[in-house]
Amino acid sequence: MVPKSGLIPALSRNGNNAEAFEPGRVHLKTNILEVRTSSLLDTQSASRLLPEGGYPMKIFKVLLPLTAIVLALGLMSGCSSSSTQVVATGQATTTDSSQQMESMNEVDVTEQLNAAFPVTLQTPTGDLVLVDQPTRILSLSPTATEMLFAIGAGDQVIAVDDQSNYPPEAPTSDISGFSPNLEAILALEPDLVVHSYLPEDIEQGLSNVGIPSLTQYAATSLDDTYLQITQLGTATGASAGAESTVQEMQQKIDELMDSVDVPDGSSLTFYHELDPTYFSVTSSTFIGQVYALFGLTNIADEAEGAGSGYPQLSEEYILSQNPDLIFLADTKCCAQNIETVTERNGWNVLSAVIEGKVIELDDDIASRWGPRVVDFLEAIASAVEQMTAVETIG
Amino acid sequence: MDSNKKKEQQEAPAELTSGLVAGASLILLASILASLLFGPVSIRPDRIFLEILNRLPGISLDSGLSTIQEAIVWDVRLPRIILGLIVGGLLAVAGASYQGVFRNPLADPYLLGVAAGAGLGATIAIVSGATNGEGMFDALPIAAFLGSAIAVAITLAVGGAVGRSTSTASLLLAGVAVASLFTAIQTYIQQRESATLRQVYSWILGRLSTSGWDEVLMILPYAGISLIVMFSMKGALDVLAVGEEEALSLGIRPRRVRWIVIGAASLAAASAVAVSGLIAFVGIIVPHAVRLVVGASNRLVVPLSFFIGASFLILTDLLARTLQSPAELPIGVVTAFFGAPFFLFVLRRRSDGII
Amino acid sequence: MASYEPLNIQGLEVELGGKKVVNNVSLSVNSGDWLSIIGPNGSGKSSLLRAIAGIISAQGKVHFQGADLMQTEPRTRAQIVSIVPQIPVVPPRVRVIDYILLGRTPYLGRGFQPTQEDTSLALSVMEDLDLHDMADRFVTEMSGGERQRVIIARSLVQQPNLLLLDEPTAALDMGHQQEVLELVDRQRKRLGLTVLSAFHDLTLASQYGTSMALLVNGKVTKSGFAHEILTETTLKNIYGANVSVHNEGDRVSIVPKRGNRLKGNSNSNDIG
Repeated sequence: MVPKSGLIPALSRNGNNAEAFEPGRVHLKTNILEVRTSSLLDTQSASRLLPEGGYPMKIFKVLLPLTAIVLALGLMSGCSSSSTQVVATGQATTTDSSQQMESMNEVDVTEQLNAAFPVTLQTPTGDLVLVDQPTRILSLSPTATEMLFAIGAGDQVIAVDDQSNYPPEAPTSDISGFSPNLEAILALEPDLVVHSYLPEDIEQGLSNVGIPSLTQYAATSLDDTYLQITQLGTATGASAGAESTVQEMQQKIDELMDSVDVPDGSSLTFYHELDPTYFSVTSSTFIGQVYALFGLTNIADEAEGAGSGYPQLSEEYILSQNPDLIFLADTKCCAQNIETVTERNGWNVLSAVIEGKVIELDDDIASRWGPRVVDFLEAIASAVEQMTAVETIG
Repeated sequence: MDSNKKKEQQEAPAELTSGLVAGASLILLASILASLLFGPVSIRPDRIFLEILNRLPGISLDSGLSTIQEAIVWDVRLPRIILGLIVGGLLAVAGASYQGVFRNPLADPYLLGVAAGAGLGATIAIVSGATNGEGMFDALPIAAFLGSAIAVAITLAVGGAVGRSTSTASLLLAGVAVASLFTAIQTYIQQRESATLRQVYSWILGRLSTSGWDEVLMILPYAGISLIVMFSMKGALDVLAVGEEEALSLGIRPRRVRWIVIGAASLAAASAVAVSGLIAFVGIIVPHAVRLVVGASNRLVVPLSFFIGASFLILTDLLARTLQSPAELPIGVVTAFFGAPFFLFVLRRRSDGII
Repeated sequence: MASYEPLNIQGLEVELGGKKVVNNVSLSVNSGDWLSIIGPNGSGKSSLLRAIAGIISAQGKVHFQGADLMQTEPRTRAQIVSIVPQIPVVPPRVRVIDYILLGRTPYLGRGFQPTQEDTSLALSVMEDLDLHDMADRFVTEMSGGERQRVIIARSLVQQPNLLLLDEPTAALDMGHQQEVLELVDRQRKRLGLTVLSAFHDLTLASQYGTSMALLVNGKVTKSGFAHEILTETTLKNIYGANVSVHNEGDRVSIVPKRGNRLKGNSNSNDIG
């Protein structure tokens, strides 16, 4: 099997790549899902679903190669289409959730949380109605996990996927957000599944059993992030927490933007490294957008034509661009740091290396679009500050 | 006079003449030069030329290249070219040798489980995060190599034990079985560890990675040994072409030759895969192309495959770097693009009864 | 020149699939003689020859020119004995000259590159075998007869002292049959070659061999001279054929007799 042109890597170690498998396909389920949390699963049928002692090898042998092939196809087709999806629905959600928030404020929310329910959420897969406040949430998206805990809905979360490593108290399970096992999900008896991508059959399986699933695709801008946090607040009844989280984020970000003084007329260039084989991100991605807030110029944008937003740059191109700043987002996955970069053949002539402008990022922080994106911005801000400080001095 | 000379030529046995070697070396040199002069970053070729001269002992010139441009040419392009030379040469010679041993022009160096074993080893290394040791002791190539070695060993043990131990058919079948098993395990691990999926996949597609000269140094001893052995066996492969019984009647020991060649070719393929991932088709396209030009005698095909294989990989790498500049294509994609049509061409000729 | 020690085979046994296809065969052939081995299909003629050539595993002794061929290492052995196989392997895209020069393998150095002398020898053998101007062609492109002669050329180029021919004339027309066998006979007389051949054609077997052995089920049931072995009764018993035997001195020709073999008259429909 020969991939077409270039290799488009998955978005992040998050592994939640929304539209990877069905590019351009718009989910047009218009039926409204009604859910009663109490009668989710017949206990008898639940035990029938789970065989004793684990899953038969037959399932593995069929599912795994198929999953691998599907994954491979998905990696090829990239995720650029997801941006259009989210932007489109994002706008819709804005009007609705703000309307909802207004109407909720009119009712007295603080005491009777349950009075806020049922709620209708507008999702990319259609309207989602939650009848009661969910108390058994399963999060299959590390970003959603961070958001849920940040807004104070952590107690309502019973399990999170195997990649959700923040916050530490999140109840990590063995379920993969990337290739989840429907039976494992059902065994947990969740009353809400939050994810940024689910295979079609899992979606179908959940809806068959009446478990609501909330799709929150990877964000492409900070606005998406705020919208998703707000939506999670609505979905969990933690709207107040959501509101304050968003406000905090906006405040901090504003402070950061103010503190950083990007000199007019000069545009700092940067290279964001996803892995030591020189995969990078262009400005069409969320990560790229964040950098753009600071007016930084992304050297990977030249490679936009190569496909999705994740080109593999050629080493000599990176060298020839001599970026002012180098950001390493492969410190955890691939043990890259300032020393390893300096030792790369030929990299010692780069000004970023010479002047110590190689910034080590936490892989997760640099790839998730949750509340910790503020930390990401902070890292960029301080790097830019140092540059400008040097410039004003020198 | 002319017709006599022509007759002489026709009647002469196949021989690796110095003319052929010179021609092949020229092709290789041209490829190296082209790859040095061109790339995704355009640097004036004349300046690079001057820089090359500058580096010769006793000559000191100012080439006009900036430090970064120099770094690009010497620290990025050159190691990559040399690695491509070695890997391309190894794969082509291993392919030619395998084809000679199995008497099948479609045998490729990954046949006995080399590829599957390396893939599994690399996947395990990537997934366990052990991929970034110090330069030469980077765990990834070592793991890939070990995986290859183990897979081939199992294939030889199983294939050799079944049947009368001289049958190449049972070796091939064992190779298929081992490859399937290892691939299944690899796929299982791969999909379990979603976080590293991209890394694994990227490795599988093949890449002439350039952490400077580390990979070149790592592969050099294995390349040297395996090439020396394969070159010394090229004549014996010609004798093997008439089958094991007849070859025995002609005075060679077919079984011994077979094991030696398989061992050396597997070593060559495994070390190539270990440093550069699975670059497909080189082992098949190149020996075939060489055969179409100079005939089937392994005394010519084996050594010439080295030169042509090296040139081929250097040039396809140049394409991989520049076609979608500044993005890179995985080199396995480019070789496959050349490989598939070539395969069809070869198949057509086979059905016409020519091959 | 060959020495005068005879070829002495003792207790040769070949086992294939649990069955003894060559069963305790002992034979003696004088140096420079030509032994024709005859016998019905499946009698073990081919296995016998291959065992003597040392290319299949066998038990027993094969003494020739002061050595036991079973214990000799392949390269030396290949300089002494050469075998023309019944069904040769013909590799594609190999030129005739290169194929014939494979016969020089036991004499070549490490690189297996033939010298000018090797080439001249090959070319002269090709002339003798009526293969002029075919050096550059592919063996696969040759007709059946030409191919057979090419293979014999390869064996002759090996300059053996013992030449083994496994059904050497199967693909040849009468003219070429004669040519090839005459050539082998000339070589035999000139160089003192010892020849063993398995023959299908009994007339040829008796015409060219100087002695004969009859192999049935892996055992030598008769050995001696052609006119002694080839009797009408023997042939009827062994081959189940009705023949008439004509002696010309010590050469014999076999002529099949039509008639009694098929019950019923000669007007029956299945006679072509």
